[in-house]
This record gives sequence, structure tokens and C-alpha cells, in this order.
Amino acid sequence: MPDDVMPPPESASAEAEIEPILTVPPVPGAPKPNPLLVVDDLSRSFGGLRAVDVDHLEVERGVVTALIGPNGAGKTTLFNLLTGFDRADTGRWSFNGEAVVAPSPDQLARKGMIRTFQLTKSLAKLTVLDNVLLGAPRQVGERLSAAPFRSRWQDQEQANTEKAGELLERFNLAHMRDDLAGTLSGGQRKLLEVARALMADPVLIMLDEPMAGVNPALAQSLMGHITRLAFEGLTVVFIEHAMEVVTGISDWVVVLAQGQIIAEGPPWKAIHDEVVIDAYLGRRRAEAGS
Amino acid sequence: MDFDIIFGNAARAAFGPEAVILALAAIGLNVHFGFTGLLNFGQVGFLLLGAYGTSVSVATFGWSLWVGVVVGLVLSVALAVALGFPTLRLHAVMFAIVTIAAAEIIRILIGSTDAIGLTGGPLSVSFDAGAFYDLNPYPDGPHDRYGVGTFEFTGQQMWVITVGWVLVALVSLVVYLIVSSPWGRVLKSIREDQDAARSLGKNVFSYKMQALVIGGVIGGMGGVIDAIKTSGADPNGFRPQVTFFAYTALLLGGAATYFGPVLGAILFWFLREWIESFLRQLSAEAWLPDAVADFLSGAEGVISVAMVGLTLVLLMLFRPQGITGNRTEMQLDAR
Ligand SMILES: Nc1ncnc2c1ncn2[C@@H]1O[C@H](COP(=O)(O)OP(=O)(O)O)[C@@H](O)[C@H]1O
Ligand SMILES: [Mg+2]
Repeated sequence: MPDDVMPPPESASAEAEIEPILTVPPVPGAPKPNPLLVVDDLSRSFGGLRAVDVDHLEVERGVVTALIGPNGAGKTTLFNLLTGFDRADTGRWSFNGEAVVAPSPDQLARKGMIRTFQLTKSLAKLTVLDNVLLGAPRQVGERLSAAPFRSRWQDQEQANTEKAGELLERFNLAHMRDDLAGTLSGGQRKLLEVARALMADPVLIMLDEPMAGVNPALAQSLMGHITRLAFEGLTVVFIEHAMEVVTGISDWVVVLAQGQIIAEGPPWKAIHDEVVIDAYLGRRRAEAGS
Repeated sequence: MDFDIIFGNAARAAFGPEAVILALAAIGLNVHFGFTGLLNFGQVGFLLLGAYGTSVSVATFGWSLWVGVVVGLVLSVALAVALGFPTLRLHAVMFAIVTIAAAEIIRILIGSTDAIGLTGGPLSVSFDAGAFYDLNPYPDGPHDRYGVGTFEFTGQQMWVITVGWVLVALVSLVVYLIVSSPWGRVLKSIREDQDAARSLGKNVFSYKMQALVIGGVIGGMGGVIDAIKTSGADPNGFRPQVTFFAYTALLLGGAATYFGPVLGAILFWFLREWIESFLRQLSAEAWLPDAVADFLSGAEGVISVAMVGLTLVLLMLFRPQGITGNRTEMQLDAR
């Protein structure tokens, strides 16, 4: 059995390439080998409606996780809670090994948790370039004490401008860098928001329907970027409705319905899950009603 | 009808101390509203504290004028902090209501009879601004006049407006320097969408507070100039309309521009004084029916303010970006 003792090098590298995420059992709340985000008992109600009710969720570091679920499932609310834009009724979570206490959006963002919005928030009266530059972290010139002294921040601004230029190039917005962001189309604004988020050097990027309204060619290239970013070590969570996008770029899928995680798993498994199909077709609700 | 006199009056108002004061109030508002989007409807409160801080320090406590100036500015900062802490986290409309209320409360307190011993109450307060005029380099004899034709000032007036406009220039320069920086970019991002700013790690509350303090102190400087110019302060000079005049000047010149508030203040006073002088001359015309002349005389000031208001309405309709503003930027609001 020498083969077993000393496997050929090709098969060794092939084995190393099998992502640890694939060893995770496809069940709701499954623990992950190397989680970046760990959520427990998170809930949020609006009046009588329990919009989010998550017992346990782990997001694996360095992979692309898709968050799917029918309209009104609580996906955006979950994003809002995790990023500090909304207050949870109950629950706790940790990010990058650190417990999140008294979550505030700007603090979490400075720790590397950067989100985008389903309804784009481009800064209409700022130029496209300024929109992206705003994303840059730790800017000396953003301190009032340094602001009037250009020499103290212009080198950093220069470097940021170059980086922003590359991002705009990637997202096909370079030719519009000096236009006001308000003049962009809806799809272009989505891309601008993603570029701006990437400018912030995120550890985790959370994209709320980033492809909605983006033309197919650009959506295709955006998908390419997301895959590449994950390859470079970034952790991505994105909300998406189009199944071809989900299967195309995600490593893992989390399915939310009526605030709860009803399924989890690799894309080819998760979206064929009986429970998921039921949730999408609304059979459960119909049954509950009868 | 003597148009030379009308023009002279208008030009004197446009470059006189009143325009300096309005320009400072409007520059401060520009930092609040133009760049940061803070709907401050109580700008006059900052002017009031600047003016009363200076006046009361000298008149009541017998301190030097320069200490009074510092006290006036410190009180403006204090007002900004006191207003900002409870309200900057609230909705923009709540902030607007609180600012207008706070400014009125301060004015009513300062002007109440109970405050006579401290602020002069309704009687107003006056002090000797000699320390300022001692530095006047302009010869100020009874016949010394500076200017051409009907557009002329006395030596004392020249000194006030020289200091005033130099201050306006310096303040404008500082505002330009701090706003045309990454710091200013954050302010504008807060104006556009504060949640976007938050999502990128900006501490929105802290930036709003900084803007509130800076714009408030600039308004306070206007109050200080007012106190020095009149050698005192009167509660009636700080009614809410002062804030709205400052908004008029700001919108006239162009909000979120660097020179707009200054240009707007000059134009505001030019227009207002031109109309008032014109009406005063008109009411003296023999061919005017008595009833109309009676109505006009005495009402010139009110009518001229109404006309300035009308100008603002027309401006909003036909040139909403103001004189120096950017049209495309403005049109984005409609989207
Ligand atoms: N601020 C709010 N007030 C009341 N109800 C809300 C609020 N935000 C979301 N909801 C409700 O919570 C549920 C989940 O919404 P959301 O998170 O936006 O769903 P998704 O993003 O999955 O489409 C929906 O029924 C929605 O109507
Ligand atoms: Mg949503």
C-alpha cells in the first residue's frame, strides 16, 4: 500500500483545495470550521410580526455566502441588525472573534463590517470619485485638526485617488468619475455603492441585492469581482433573488423564511431542498391558513 | 425722486456693518445647512450670545472689551454644544424646532424685566467700545468722509467695516480650507445621506457637532461685530427674522458655495435699502394720492422686507441654486 502512505503530489494539492466549508453538514445553524460572524438568538419584531428569529448562524471566513428567501423573509432586517442600523430585541453576535456590544453602524464599519443598501444610497451631489473616496478608511484629512493643512493629507488622498480610480475602472465607471453621482442610472449607482464599500478595505462585505437593476453584462462582471474578492480572502454575504447568480458565485447558501433559517448548505443542495421550495411557493403559508 | 441718494443709501447698506453681520450669520448657516444639511432655524441665538456676551462682560462686569469678545464666542460654542447633544441624534425636523425655540427662549429670558440687573432686560445694554475705536487708523474728524458722492462713510464706520470685511474674508478662507478637504467631504456625505456616511465608518454625530460649533461661532462673531458697532445690544435686534434674513442671503448667493453667503448678504442689504429709500422718496411725491402716501410713509421698512421676500420666492422659482450655485446639482433634488 505505498500509494496510501505516499500519495502523489497532485492529489495532495487537490485535496488541499477542497474548501473546508464543504465538510460542513447542510443543516440550519451548522457550525463552521472558521467562522467570521457568529450569531445567537437574534430576534426583531415589528408589532406582532417577527421579522427576524435566528437561533444560530455562523458565516464562514473567506467564502461567498448567499442569503436567500422570499420577499419579506427578513433578509434586509437581518442585515440591519447585524450592522447596527436597527436594534435587536434579543440576541448577541460576535464579529472577527470579538463580541459585538452596543452595536453602532460606524464602529462596526471601522472594524471592517461594511454593508450596502437594497435602496441605493449614492451621494447624489458628490462626484462619483468623491463617493468612492469617502469609503477610504483612516483618512488623516477627515480630522478637523488636519483638514485645513493640505500637505498633511494630500499624499494619502493621492494614494486613495489612485485606488479609487482602479475600482472605478473595474466597475466601468471610470469615464464618469467627475460626474455627480445623482446623474448615474440605477444600475450604475448599485455598482458605485459596491465600489465605495470595497474602498473601505472590508473584512466582511454585506451586499443587499447588489445585482438588482444592473444590466446583465455588468452583473456578470460584478459576479466575477465578487468571486475574485473571496479568492483574495474577503468574506462576502449577499442577498440575491436570481438563482443563477446564487448558484454561479456562492459557496454556501443560507435560506431565510419568515425570519427563520430554514435551510443551509452548498448551493446545489440548498436550492433543491424540499423545505426551500415550499417556502418559495408559499405552500407552508397556504397550509397554515387552511 | 433722487436716484443718486437712493443708490448711495443702498450701497452704504450693502457694504456697511449690517451686511458684515449678515454675511457672518450666513457663512455660519452655510456650514450648518449648506454643507452639512443641518436645518438650524436658530442662528440668531448665536448672534445674540456673541453680542450679549461682549456687552454684558464690559457693561455689567467691567471686564475689558477683548475679554468680552472671548466670552461672547465661548457662549456661542456653549450654545452649540448644549443644543447639539440632545438633538443632533434626532430627526432633522426636531432639530429645526429645537433651534428656533432655543433662540427665542434665550431672547425672552435676556429681555425679561427680571434680567435687568444682568443684561439690561428690555432696556437693552450699552457699553463703551472705546478700546476698539482707539485702534482706528482712519482720521475721524467731523468733516472726514471716505467714499465717493453719496456713497461715503465716517472714519469710525470705516474702521468697523474694515475690520468686519477682513474678518469675513478670513472666515471665508478658513471655511474654504476646512470644507475642501476629506473632512468637508464627510460633511457633504452626511447632508446627502447620513446612513451612507455611517455605513462607511463615519461618526455622524461627531461631525455634526463640529459643524454646529463652527457655524455657531461664526454667527457669534457677527454678534460681536453687532455689539461693537452699536456699543451695546438690544433684545429686539435678535428676533427670529434675523435667522430668516440669513437664510435669504444664503439662498440668494448660493448655498454650499464659498462666496455665496457673502455675495448674498451684500445683495440682500443693497436690495432692501434700495427699495426702502425708493419708497421713502415715492411717498414724498406730490402727485401721489394722500391715502397712498399716508400708507407708504412709515411702512417703507416693512414693504422692503416683503419685497426681499418676494425676490426670494422668485429666485426659488427661477434660479433655485442661487446666483453662484450649480444648476445641475440643484436639479438632482428633483430626482
Ligand atoms: N421598519 C419596519 N417597520 C415595520 N415592519 C418592517 C420594517 N422593516 C421591515 N418590516 C417587515 O419585516 C419583514 C421583513 O422585511 P425585510 O427584512 O425587508 O424582508 P426582505 O429583505 O427579506 O425582503 C417584512 O414583512 C417587512 O414588512
Ligand atoms: Mg430586502
